[in-house]
Amino acid sequence: MTFTVTINDFEGPLDLMLDLIRKNNMDLFELDITLLTTQYAAFLHQMEEMHLEIASEYLSELAGLIEYKSRRLLPKEKAILDGEYEEDPKDRLVRRLLEYQQFKEISETLGERYRERLQQLSRPMEAISQQWLSSIDFNNISGSVYDLTKAMGKALDRYVASLPLAVRVTKPERSVDDCIYKIRQHFDGFSRAFSFDEVLDTCIDLEEGIVSFLAVLDLIRVNLLVYTMDKDDRIWLKWGNA
Amino acid sequence: MPDLSALLEGLLFLVGEEGLALTQIAQLLDITVIEAQQLLEDLIASYQQGSHGVEIVGYGDRYKFVSKAFIHPLAQKLFDLDRQRALSHSALETLAIIAYKQPITRAEIEEIRGVSCDVMLRKLMARGLVEERTRSKAAGRPILYGVTEEFLDVFKLASLTDLPQLPDYHDNSDNEDLYERSL
Repeated sequence: MTFTVTINDFEGPLDLMLDLIRKNNMDLFELDITLLTTQYAAFLHQMEEMHLEIASEYLSELAGLIEYKSRRLLPKEKAILDGEYEEDPKDRLVRRLLEYQQFKEISETLGERYRERLQQLSRPMEAISQQWLSSIDFNNISGSVYDLTKAMGKALDRYVASLPLAVRVTKPERSVDDCIYKIRQHFDGFSRAFSFDEVLDTCIDLEEGIVSFLAVLDLIRVNLLVYTMDKDDRIWLKWGNA
Repeated sequence: MPDLSALLEGLLFLVGEEGLALTQIAQLLDITVIEAQQLLEDLIASYQQGSHGVEIVGYGDRYKFVSKAFIHPLAQKLFDLDRQRALSHSALETLAIIAYKQPITRAEIEEIRGVSCDVMLRKLMARGLVEERTRSKAAGRPILYGVTEEFLDVFKLASLTDLPQLPDYHDNSDNEDLYERSL
């Protein structure tokens, strides 16, 4: 017989026992503890050979099973006289297995409900109403460290939610018309001549400088500006009379 | 004066995920709790029946608007939601035991599950699903645990009485196979 499952597939020793009972078609109400013990021990040995770590809980349950098995070899003593009634270990095991089985099953139902709930999304409270809420009395704050973790988690969620969904960095495009407008605003009322370098001073980057040059050319074309160049190749501009 | 239903709808819209309790609604609209209940039921039904992308739910006595399940695939696209806050089998088992048996000590949970639950309990408390209640009167006065209102919310429960019925295996009268019966 080969084991295709590993110990990590089980939630604990009870889960493993239930699986063994089901695989061997044992009846839980007429539980054959000897068979269960053999199967259980065999499984743990197999895991050990595969060098898988076995949690102590599995070994503790194994000890319990072996104890029960060995007790049955001893003659029965009907000593209830000491007053302490002790539940039959077999009954106790069956009761535990049944109870565990109940919760294992119901947790699957709960898991289904949980997944359904995740599909339903809600929105945070209207932001402005936060300002209406009366301010907090900091002298009267109480709560456990778990409340604090939860509050921190909420604050972080809010922070993440406040971030934009996408950030795109774009260069503003400047048209010649924009630059003409800018030059006319900036040098409005200048009766003296001004150099093109002064125009460049109003530009933030090379692109704007180039577009501004085109704007100047256009202003010259419509005779709004007159120009001259000195011996240092500097361009001088002056508002024309057009 | 707009009708009560419209007022309630507007209020629920404003409170968002925080939701409103039945008693709050009754107080705000100056009606009885029974009237508020009826008003809510009608409003819930109108969102259920009509062609709407949102619905009103009442989990843990908090009524609120949520988007309907069929919106979820598109929401995933819109918000890049790929991280689902899953709960493991161990977490679900532990929660189930606490919910049905509360108030319950750690030792009692471990007795049922057969494994240590210390770390799991702390995780569940950090997620706000489980809380410490009082202390048991038993020896050592161990802490008793119970589930929170958040628990009711994430499992779509109005109250603890809404929990699904536990399967019953305790009937020993016939010796039918356990697994056949649970099919």
